[in-house]
Amino acid sequence: MLRDIIKKEILDNITSPKFVFTFLLCTILILLSVYTGVTNYRAEKKEHTASLALNKKNMESQPNFSSLAGIGVKVSKPPQVLGTVVNGIEEAVGRVAPVNIVADPNLVDSKYSSNPVFAVFGPLDLMFIVKIVLSLFAILFTYDAIVGEKEKGTLKLALSNEVPRDRLILGKAIGGYISLLLPLLIPLVLSLIILLITPDISLGGEDWGRLLLIFLMFFLYLSVFFSLGLFVSARTSRSSTSFLVLLFIWVVFVMVIPKVAVITAGQIRPIPSVHEITAKKDAFLQQIQTESQKGYLDWVQKNRTDAQKDPKAFEEKFRQFLQNYQQEMTSKIDENNSAIERDYQQRKRAQQNLAINMSRISPASALTFGSMTLAKTGVNDFDRFLASVRAYKPIYTKWINSKLAQSINFQTGEQPKISLDDMPQHTIEPEWLSRSLVRTIPDFALLAVMIIVFFVGAYVSFLRYDVR
Amino acid sequence: MLEAIDLTKRYEDGELALDGLTFKVEPGEIFCMFGANGAGKTTAINLFLNFIPATSGTALIEGIDVAKDPLKAKRHVSFVSENVMLYGNFTAVQNLDYFSRLAGKRTLKKKDYAEVLDRVGLQKEAFDRRVKNFSKGMRQKLGIAIALVKDAPNVLLDEPTSGLDPQSGREFLEILVQMRDKGKSVFMSTHDIFRAKLIADRIGFMRRGRLVMMKTAMELAHEDLTDLYIQYMEEQPAQPSAALSA
Repeated sequence: MLRDIIKKEILDNITSPKFVFTFLLCTILILLSVYTGVTNYRAEKKEHTASLALNKKNMESQPNFSSLAGIGVKVSKPPQVLGTVVNGIEEAVGRVAPVNIVADPNLVDSKYSSNPVFAVFGPLDLMFIVKIVLSLFAILFTYDAIVGEKEKGTLKLALSNEVPRDRLILGKAIGGYISLLLPLLIPLVLSLIILLITPDISLGGEDWGRLLLIFLMFFLYLSVFFSLGLFVSARTSRSSTSFLVLLFIWVVFVMVIPKVAVITAGQIRPIPSVHEITAKKDAFLQQIQTESQKGYLDWVQKNRTDAQKDPKAFEEKFRQFLQNYQQEMTSKIDENNSAIERDYQQRKRAQQNLAINMSRISPASALTFGSMTLAKTGVNDFDRFLASVRAYKPIYTKWINSKLAQSINFQTGEQPKISLDDMPQHTIEPEWLSRSLVRTIPDFALLAVMIIVFFVGAYVSFLRYDVR
Repeated sequence: MLEAIDLTKRYEDGELALDGLTFKVEPGEIFCMFGANGAGKTTAINLFLNFIPATSGTALIEGIDVAKDPLKAKRHVSFVSENVMLYGNFTAVQNLDYFSRLAGKRTLKKKDYAEVLDRVGLQKEAFDRRVKNFSKGMRQKLGIAIALVKDAPNVLLDEPTSGLDPQSGREFLEILVQMRDKGKSVFMSTHDIFRAKLIADRIGFMRRGRLVMMKTAMELAHEDLTDLYIQYMEEQPAQPSAALSA
C-alpha cells in the first residue's frame, strides 16, 4: 500500500504543470549557475597566475632593496575550485593582501570594489539557487499536500478505505520528496559532468568529498522546507492559507532572520570601525617615524667622532645599527598593530560568532555557513588567510630590513641589484576536510533537527487532522 | 449491515450535531435519509467512517465497532461523497486503479476498470482522459465506479445524485438497485426525494441531529413525499429515535 501511495504521489506530481515548470527552471538556473561559476573560476585562476607572475616581475625589476621595500610584496589567495558552486564571500572581499614594512596587511581588490554593480545583486551560484529558488519549489510541492487533498475530497475517499493515516502521510512525504528531487537530479548530474570535463577544473579526492557534503547539505535544506510545507499543510484547512503561511515563514527564514541577526549582534557587541583602527595604527606609525628620525640623528651625533677616526669601522657599525634599529622600529610597529588587530579581531570574532549563532535559527543561515565552510569560501577561510599573511609580515620585514642594511654603500652610494632567491615565501596550512566537517556539524545538526521537528509535527497533526 | 446505536455527536463549540441517532440498514436494503442542510446526515456518515469520534453511542459496520477497530470496519464499506474532485492529472482509469489498490484490490486489470466505468455510464473515450477535464456528473460517475470496484457489503452515499443529469441519475439508481439485489446495505443521505422514492426500502427524516420520522416503502406508497418532506422539515417536536427504530 505504501508503494501505491508513493507511486501515486510521484505520478500526480510529475504529471502536473508545476513539475514541468520546476524541471525547466531548475535545469536552466542550475546549469547557468555552474557555467557562471566555472567561467568565473577560470578567469580568477588566470588572474591569480598572472598576478603572481606580475608581482614577481615587478619585484625583480626594482633597482634596489629600498624601492622593493617601498612597493612591498603582494600575497594573493588562490581561488577555490568549489567556489564554482558556492561562491561565498570570494567576490565581496579581495583576494590580494599587500605586505610592506609599515602598513598592516589587509585584503584589497575585491570584485565588488572594482565594479560595485556586482554587489547589487550578488553572485548567481548554486547555493543561491538552492537557498532562494529551490526552497520556494519545495514549498510549491507541499503547501497543498494534505489540505489540497482535503479540498479535492480525495483525502476522505482514501481514508474511507483500510488505510492507516501514518502510512498515508509517510507515502505522501516519500513520494513528494522524490518528485521534488527528480527535477534537481538531472541538472545536478549535468553540472558534475561540466565540472569533470572543463579544463582548468581539477577536483581532488577531498574536493569530491566536500562537494558531496555540500550536495547533502542542499538536500537537507530542501528537506527542511519540504517537511515544513507538510507540517503547515497538515495544520490548515485551506490551501491558500497554507501557501500564505509558508510564504511568510520563508521570508522570515531566508530574508529576515539572517539580516536581523547581524544587525542585532552589531548592537549587542559593537566593534570599532575599520577607520578607527587604521587611524590608531597611523597615529602610532607617525609617532614611530618621528622617534626613529630622532634616533638616527642621536646615533650619528654620538658616533660622529668614530667616523673621522676609522670610517671603515664606522660604516660597519652604522650598518649594524641601521639593521637593528630598523628592525626594532618595525617590530614596535608590528607589535602595536598586532595588539590593536588582536583586540579588534577578538571583538570582531565575538560579534561574528554571535551573529552566526543567532542567525542559525534560520535554515538558510545554516546552509550558507555550512556550505561556505565546506567550499572553503567562507568568512573563516578569509580570516585564516589574512592571519597567515599577518604572520608572514614580520618574517618578510625582517628579511627586507636585513637586505636594506646590507645594501648600503657609503662610498659610492650605489646599491646592489636585488635578488629574491632567499626571500621567505608566504605559506598557509590548508584546512583538511575533517576540520571543516567538525565546523559544519552544528549546521548539519540544526538542519536535521528542523527536519525531524517539522516532520514529526506534520505526522502528529495529520493523525489528528480533520479530513471533512 | 450498518447500525447506529444511540449515536451522539457534540462538537467542541457545544453544537449538538447528532442526538441519539439509532437505525439499522439490513443487507439488501436501501435506506435514504432526508434532512435539511446541517440536520446531521453527513455527520452520521463521518461517524461511520471514523472521520470524527462520537461523543457517545456506537456505529457498527458488519457488527464491528468503528471507534474500536476503524480499519477493520472500513474494509466492509464503500463510500461515495458529494462533489469529489479526484486527481485531476490522472485519467479515469488511473484514479480507479489507485483507489482500488487502496481498497485492497490489486489484481484488477484495465479491462476490469473499463467494465466498471462502462457500467456507471462513462463514455469510453473518457476512460483515458484526464479527470480535470471532466464535468461534475462525469466525476460523480467515477466516484461511484470507485465504490463499485471495492465491492464492499455496505455502501455509504453522501448526496451522490447532486450534479447528475436525469439520464445519469437513472443509471445511478439502477446501479443502487443492483447493489441491493446483491445483498448490500446501502445508506444514502439525499435531498432528492423523487429518486429516493423510486428505490428506497425505508426513508428517514432528520432534523437538528435527531431522526424524527422513519417509514417503509410500503407506508410511503400512497403518500406524497414532497408534502411529507416539507411537513417534517418544519419545526415540530421530535419523536424519540429509539421508539422509531423499534
